[in-house]
Amino acid sequence: MILCVSIATNNQEHRLMNENVIELKNVRKEFVSTKHYPGWKGAVKGLFTKEKERKIAVNDVSLSIKAGEIVGYIGSNGAGKSTTIKIMSGILTPTAGICLVNGLEPYRSRKTNAKNIGVVFGQRTQLWWDLPLSETYTVLKEVYEVNDRDFEERMAFFHEVLDLQGFIHNTVRTLSLGQRMRADLAAALLHNPKVLYLDEPTIGLDVVVKDKIRQAIREINEKYNTTVILTTHDLNDIEELCQRIIIIDEGRKIYDSTLNQLKKNYGCRCSILFEWKEAPDEAQLTALHTMGENVEFTRQDNGVRISFSKNETAVADVIAKVMGTIEVKDIQIKETELTDIVKNIYQNGTGQGT
Amino acid sequence: MAHFLKIYWTFALNQIKSNFVYRWGFYLHILRKFLGMFIYYYLWMAIYASSSTGQLGGFDRNEMILYVFMSYTISDIVMIGISSEIGYDVLDGSVAMNLIKPINYRWYLTFRALGTMIYRIIVPSLFIWIGLEIYKVFGLGMPVSNPLTIVLSLTSIVLSFFIYAFFDYCFGMLAFVTTYIFGMTIIKNAALNLLTGKLIPISFFPLFLQKVFAFLPFTAMTYVPVMIYLGKYSEAEAFMQIGKQALWVVILYLAGSLLWKRIEKRIVILGG
Amino acid sequence: MVTIMNKFARYIRLYRIFAVQYMKTVLQSKVDFFVGLGGFLISQAAGLAFLYLVFEQIPSIQDWTLEQMLFIYGFAQIPRGLDHLLTDNLWMVGWQMVIKGTFDKYILRPMNIFFQIICEKVQFDATGELLIGLFFVGRAVVNGTVHLTLPRVVFFIISVIAGSIIYTSIKLVLASIAFWIKNSSPLMTTLYDTADFAKYPIEIYARPIQIVLMTVLPFAFVAYIPSTFFLINANIWKTIGAECIIALVFWLFAYGVFKKGLTVYESAGS
Repeated sequence: MILCVSIATNNQEHRLMNENVIELKNVRKEFVSTKHYPGWKGAVKGLFTKEKERKIAVNDVSLSIKAGEIVGYIGSNGAGKSTTIKIMSGILTPTAGICLVNGLEPYRSRKTNAKNIGVVFGQRTQLWWDLPLSETYTVLKEVYEVNDRDFEERMAFFHEVLDLQGFIHNTVRTLSLGQRMRADLAAALLHNPKVLYLDEPTIGLDVVVKDKIRQAIREINEKYNTTVILTTHDLNDIEELCQRIIIIDEGRKIYDSTLNQLKKNYGCRCSILFEWKEAPDEAQLTALHTMGENVEFTRQDNGVRISFSKNETAVADVIAKVMGTIEVKDIQIKETELTDIVKNIYQNGTGQGT
Repeated sequence: MAHFLKIYWTFALNQIKSNFVYRWGFYLHILRKFLGMFIYYYLWMAIYASSSTGQLGGFDRNEMILYVFMSYTISDIVMIGISSEIGYDVLDGSVAMNLIKPINYRWYLTFRALGTMIYRIIVPSLFIWIGLEIYKVFGLGMPVSNPLTIVLSLTSIVLSFFIYAFFDYCFGMLAFVTTYIFGMTIIKNAALNLLTGKLIPISFFPLFLQKVFAFLPFTAMTYVPVMIYLGKYSEAEAFMQIGKQALWVVILYLAGSLLWKRIEKRIVILGG
Repeated sequence: MVTIMNKFARYIRLYRIFAVQYMKTVLQSKVDFFVGLGGFLISQAAGLAFLYLVFEQIPSIQDWTLEQMLFIYGFAQIPRGLDHLLTDNLWMVGWQMVIKGTFDKYILRPMNIFFQIICEKVQFDATGELLIGLFFVGRAVVNGTVHLTLPRVVFFIISVIAGSIIYTSIKLVLASIAFWIKNSSPLMTTLYDTADFAKYPIEIYARPIQIVLMTVLPFAFVAYIPSTFFLINANIWKTIGAECIIALVFWLFAYGVFKKGLTVYESAGS
């Protein structure tokens, strides 16, 4: 299993160790929507009545993030990730609770906050669609009041880590998704924000481009000590970038710790798939079930999946036991990957590691 | 024929339903329809109050009241934009999907427009018409419209619907040529307000223009059915006008087929 | 004071930059521009044709001559055109931006949000309205329908600005309603259409309509009421003065509604 590499540089980390850049206290966000009724009757009914539906998108979430951290913020679709990001960037006002970014409430001090943050929404773009890419940066330079020297320096840096040269004079409309995403990242960073929110920055990209984007995020974080909050469905992003992971489900924070801790807690499980030559009889099955308490059997089509904790049971023991009991055609050993851990947490919560 | 109707009727039905879904659109549509009518109602009232003869362009005051409300009501149910639908279909590429399906694109659009027409008849054109008929008899002291007039008006309205639908289908073919069909629509609507007689009766125009208009399909879209309803035509003339409308339906249908053939060839060659 | 001046200078600069970007986009399709311009000219022509055809039959409408009616008509087009030229992007807010969540981008930038909305688009179609308006106002001056003096020119400019503000305020309120109901464009088009009442003398309408046009949708103050100052020397306070007060009150109200709307903005699920 690949372990996560800690990447924040040491001296900076020490200096800013105690400074919370982002703080959420009991943040809650509700949306109210009107119901639509189906069919003919519904259409007529809808003309006269109105029924409201309340949906809680973020439910009592508290968290704090320190300067220079790269935090992975994950959860299934509709879990409340984007809503949280939108609260932190000032787009949404929370229904209850308080959110502080650099000591300010983003939705109250919108303009000041806007200078402190950069945002990339993977599904949208803030580039000027019909114009050459370079124009976008010229406008943003004015909007964020970036002086000439900083502008030159940062553009040079982006050219280096994001490879913008090849398409800087192309119309944005004609850029590929990967190019557009790199361009958007540069646009979000031009004013050197203290905090960078990335909402699914690698969605729809191929492996090579994904890698380039990750590399760039890492370098930016190192060079400017930018705090990065990243939502994603691609756990490789998390594995390669984040020291810390926060999991949200149905609006509630269900996990918040370092990536290493997560793997230690949940990652030691292993499962082995056995395919047997012919179906075992009752006696053989009973014999298999005597392996230990925390060993889990799942019958498959023409075999069995055995899951267990490596801390308690050795892989070799399991194999020996099964092969000693019954004739086996094929064996497959599956280490738990981050995906499985997260899937597990979504399904079962953090209560137990099964 | 029954089979044909069964297939295409579903498109009309769906269109009626989706018109009903948006409550706001529903109320606002009614409000908006009244606004324009009332501006011109008051304007005409002021104009007649300032007139010494009480007879303008061949209309007396009461006839003009009926004209304003009927021309608005009829053009609202008859003029249903097909071209903008074609515009959207071309823009998002779904026109190719419609070419693959075993349905005729024009009839598909026409029946959708028919659905909207039915919706607009229910909300609230029919009620305006009934209200107007009551007002005509009790408010203005005019005789009740005779059944033949009503039958002829309805026939004429149905023909108007097809004239406009087939005309707008031809106009919609522009969407394949230019991306700015929506801008052209503004021009088209402004021109039609004047040319169909919605804004002002055609009889107000100088004679030579009236003669020119007789060779164009536009008066057949609104002016003719209103004039039939008002009894401004003799019986023979009404039948003649309806015959002319039918002729326009055929001509515009053929023109549409011709244009579509050329466009289709182009699409096939260019691959959409 | 200095900071306010600096801020002002910055916003002027930004407006120029945004407008130039928009113009570059527009210039990519010149056909669109001419079609748009032509569309608005023809719409105007239809309205004018109506007046001409009617006046073929009668000498005046309730004591207004054709020339006076044309002045009112033309005058009404100028504030309308100015508002159309500068704040056309408000339609997009009411129609799409809130429901699609693209409004997010304004919140993320460190500039005044209303300013960002309007500087993103300069609607050149409005030249049609402005040309017609200036033509008929100019014509009224030349043929002596209105008399030209220096103070009157100043009052005319003030009236045009106040009129544009009334238009913008009404549009801003209607667009802001989208923050609550997601898509307010049907409402916007319907109520904006009532501006057509303002092209003609308000006395011709029934009392309730007059009241609406002078209070909730004060389009009467945009052209007809101030034009009586120029045409028949009506009291300046009751015409242009009232127009300015209405403009101020409506602007403050509209901006308040807009600000309130921002706090309930829900973005869109991605």
